[in-house]
Amino acid sequence: MNGEIIAFCCEHSAYAAADVVGKQGLHYPEKLRVIRVPCAGRVDIIHMLKALEEGAAAVLVLGCEDGLCQHLTGNVRAKERVKYSETLLTEVGIDGGRVGMFNLAANAPHKFIKIINEVNDRIKERERENDSR
Amino acid sequence: MPVRMGIFLCDCGGSLKNIDFPKVRENLENLEDIAFVDITHNLCLEEGEKAITSRILTENINRVVIAACSPEFRERNFGELLEKLRLNPGLLSLANIREQCSWAHEGDVTRKALELIMMAVGKARLLQPVERKEVAVNNEVLVVGGGFCGMKSSLELSQLGIRTTLVEREPTLGGKLKKLEGFYSSQIEAMIKAIEKAENIEILTSAEVTGVEGKIGDFKVRMRGTKEILRSFGAIVFATGYKTEVAAGDFPLKPGVNIISQERLVQLLQAPTLEARPETIGFIFDLSDENPRFPTLATLNNALAVKQRWGSEVYVFCKNVKVDSEGVEKLYREAREDGVMFLKFDKNPKISADDGRVKIDAEDTLLGEEIVLTCDLVVAEEKLLPAEGTEGLSSLLKIRTDSQGFYQEENVHLYPVSSERKGIFFVGNCRGDLDLGRVLADISSVVAKVYELLPPGKVIVEAERVKADPQKCVACLTCIRVCPHRAVQLVQVDSEKVVAEISQLACDKCGICAAICPAKAIKFEGYSDDQILAQIEAIGVS
Repeated sequence: MNGEIIAFCCEHSAYAAADVVGKQGLHYPEKLRVIRVPCAGRVDIIHMLKALEEGAAAVLVLGCEDGLCQHLTGNVRAKERVKYSETLLTEVGIDGGRVGMFNLAANAPHKFIKIINEVNDRIKERERENDSR
Repeated sequence: MPVRMGIFLCDCGGSLKNIDFPKVRENLENLEDIAFVDITHNLCLEEGEKAITSRILTENINRVVIAACSPEFRERNFGELLEKLRLNPGLLSLANIREQCSWAHEGDVTRKALELIMMAVGKARLLQPVERKEVAVNNEVLVVGGGFCGMKSSLELSQLGIRTTLVEREPTLGGKLKKLEGFYSSQIEAMIKAIEKAENIEILTSAEVTGVEGKIGDFKVRMRGTKEILRSFGAIVFATGYKTEVAAGDFPLKPGVNIISQERLVQLLQAPTLEARPETIGFIFDLSDENPRFPTLATLNNALAVKQRWGSEVYVFCKNVKVDSEGVEKLYREAREDGVMFLKFDKNPKISADDGRVKIDAEDTLLGEEIVLTCDLVVAEEKLLPAEGTEGLSSLLKIRTDSQGFYQEENVHLYPVSSERKGIFFVGNCRGDLDLGRVLADISSVVAKVYELLPPGKVIVEAERVKADPQKCVACLTCIRVCPHRAVQLVQVDSEKVVAEISQLACDKCGICAAICPAKAIKFEGYSDDQILAQIEAIGVS
């Protein structure tokens, strides 16, 4: 892996939103790799950390909007796990901002693009900072 | 058995121009466990089906990777096709190279497409077949509530040949509509007769549900009537209805002689004689709720009835008349044409006693003037609230209620009559403020849902799609606590050990338990840890 963005996408919301992006002929950075999951609650800490270990620039968990999870609590549990991964990363001296959880609906392709673009911009900024050091 | 994989690439009728398919094939062919890589043009059409069939029949493969459109479209069809060809659908892995690759990017995306396919290949190598098996289920249905909704649901279920037990806590069936005279009560009487005649409906009156355990296909329900009853049902339909109440907080004056509820007004309208005909009647509704469907209907109906029967002067004070049910616009027009006056307020009107009559002081937003009206009778807004006992039942069932205390649907738009627990359904006003048309739609959908989940005979389920390994399980109860669908139970394996077991019927395949299990004992085939990690490892390798 070489600086890709890995996004674990809930098939009820984010995965469908990513599909809509394509259907509408919109675009997001090519370095995005989507891994389909049945619910954001399926994503475990090991999955996020493994993706970073393999060389991902950022790992995102994308689930349903608050209170609208198909499985009631999946998105809440995912958020807790992302937070926990953040603290683990910070403890070992890695930027915790490289993992993130976002909520969106299946009909929100623009929000999907915005999330990916913002994460991509942050990655580029970080690279610039590292280069100038 | 060593992995032998067949890969089908679909170029969507030649429209995915920014992927170089021959180059993708070249890269994939070199991998050792791959039997063939086919470039096809329209896998979704008959020609595609033929292409897949002929290849799979001649090549002895045990994994299939299809790189085509989003799994949303054809995943199920491809699975069914594989099953026809005696290949387990669990051995299929898809790569979304259309929506999330070719269409989402400009310029050549051959590399990304190859990577997405490699991810699917990585996952496919680890896939295991998921066997399907028949399980015996109890097809009997329990309907709770013997009002219009419960009776109609029971009748429709029984017409499909489903044995139904109807439980009602009052001594007689009929519910609220029975009390209304005319059309409704005659309908209700006819329904009660039909139910009593139906062979496969059992009626339990003066009985209440006091305990529910188990899962879809096998709910153990405890009921208390004249004696304790313990019975097993495949599904439970709640039609526990509603109650109406004049909200105390909304109304400054307590209901009494001059201020009455809609229910009392109906009684007065039905009484054969009237002591004194009220000259002026005021109706007030829409005081706090934004979308009062039921109060709107009741007010319009009763205002019109008063006008037609008593000929009084009728004034309706309201914010907005929302006419989102069938026939309400017509009712509203009829009321206006018959002389019912509608007055629109913004700030809640002041109500005070005035020498044995009631004074309503309101600012009409259309006239922009203050209107003071002294009425002989004021009919207060009645709110629709969950029936008595809804709270108790919901905590018994471990099912959520919404902010107003009604049962919470699993998804208001997509699954309005389902709960988060499979096999438990809600119909009618126990799930919110519905009109008759919506209630009838509810009944039809619940009947269809029950029939879909518990068809006559045996039910085919994917055995062990999600499975807790009894060797690894330490019975920490975490999965039982987190499962949103209450699909996990403890079972005794021998005299010493208990382990978690996941009911494939009740499970909704979310994988929350698989992620949270501290012992990593739960495996979700298709989304297992190693299958997810294999996808991550495949990124950027090619």
